[in-house]
Formats: sequence, structure tokens, C-alpha cells
Amino acid sequence: MSMKALNKLVARSIVDPSVMQAFGDGSFTSVLEDFEFNAELKTRLTSIQAPNFAEFSILAYRTVKAYEMAQKPRIELPSPLEGLLDDRDQASGEQVA
Amino acid sequence: MIPTTREERRWFLRNLAQGLVDYAGTAEPPVPVEEILTHPPDLYQRDFGVVEMFSSLWDATFARPLTQRGNIFVHTNLDSAKRRFALARETLSALITSHHGRRMGLTDLLLPELRDSAEYFARVMVAPDMMVRAFREQGGDLDSFAETFEMPIEVAAARWEDPIPNGR
Repeated sequence: MSMKALNKLVARSIVDPSVMQAFGDGSFTSVLEDFEFNAELKTRLTSIQAPNFAEFSILAYRTVKAYEMAQKPRIELPSPLEGLLDDRDQASGEQVA
Repeated sequence: MIPTTREERRWFLRNLAQGLVDYAGTAEPPVPVEEILTHPPDLYQRDFGVVEMFSSLWDATFARPLTQRGNIFVHTNLDSAKRRFALARETLSALITSHHGRRMGLTDLLLPELRDSAEYFARVMVAPDMMVRAFREQGGDLDSFAETFEMPIEVAAARWEDPIPNGR
């Protein structure tokens, strides 16, 4: 969802001068309000320091991507080796090693 | 400019192309590339001219004489599909050199890999992700893809191979 919002922001920036205007005059937070970023991402995006909007976009892409990766549920699978050997076999394997 | 990966650059280009397609209000192929150039957003009134020209050297090229309007000079005898793609490709140069594009910092990001960037941008402009996704879901093949989106077959083949991210 957050990446979709960022995609829309960048798409709008190429045809809407108000995005660049806000980026330049410090009122960029108000532009972000138009897109579906949650509060935490809004804070992270507004803290990005970049000399121009293109560079901001790339840094924002990295920020949003990292954020979305961190939000994904992690499934911890056991090692394929575990469970194939019963305790006795594991114990004898350890002794051999 | 910070170093960027090809994936990052292409993500950015996809959204620029999508912005122009959104502006045109186009929901299905073919995207009206020439219509976008002849009736551009207000901020590109001085950047998006199209001029017919005979040339044996190129299919289309963008030029902006100092203090004058930018124009895409397009070979007058190109077939429709090649013309659309050539115009879309040169549109990126028009964007990069426009006042708005320079303010955005497009030059630093896109000029170093201009050829690759322009061809990718053009592929996305003539066949935006959402339309490609919808076309694939309907089970279309490569030949009908080129025909439906009015692209040269070699461009369609390249676009067919481009990764299409889920959603927008």
C-alpha cells in the first residue's frame, strides 16, 4: 500500500507543479497528506534530506521498500535437517563428529 | 546525485510514464502518445512540439534551440507503430531538459544512462504496467500484444520480458 502511494506521488510530480512547489518551500508534509502513507512513514519521508525531488524519490523508494519488508510476517521454518533424524541418530552423529 | 541501481531508475521511469498516461486519462490501449505531445500538461507547453522531417539518420530526435521551444523531429515516413515508439522515447529527453524536469533533478538521475532509460520509458509509456497486466490476464499472445498496443514487434518482445510489479 505504501509503495502504491509513493508510485502515485512520483507519477503526479511529473505533471503537477504543486508537488515541486511544496518540495521546495517546506510545505511538503501537506502534499504527503494526499497519499495513503501511515503516520510513521510520513515522518520518515519528511525527514529525508535530498537536493532535488528525483533524489528524494529514490531515497523514498528505499525507505518504503525497507519499511514494507520489515512489516512482512516472517515464517520461521525449521532446518530441513531437523526432524529427519530421531534423537538417537542425532546423538550418534554428534559422537562420530 | 547518489548512486542508483537500474531497478531504482526503472521504478522511477515507470512512474514518470504512468504520470503522463494518467494525465491523458487513458484506461486502455493504445495510449495516445502523439495526443499527449500535442496537448501536453500546461507546464510542458514549451517542451513538447512535434515537427515532421525527412531524415535518413534517425527515426526521431529531440532538440531544443537555446531560448526556444523544444521539439521532437520525427521522420515523416515512419509507420504508425514505429512513430509512436520513437515519439515516446524522445519524450523523455523533452522532460529531462524542460524547466520542470531540471527543477526535479531528472538530468542527474537519467542522463548517465539516457539510451536505456529512454527506451524503457517509451516501452512503459506505450504499454503501461496496468494495461499489460490486464492484457496478460486475458491470455493474449505476443503478436496480438504488439497489435493491440500499436508497438513494433521487437519493442513488444522487449516489453513482454520486462518484469511487471504487482499492483500499482
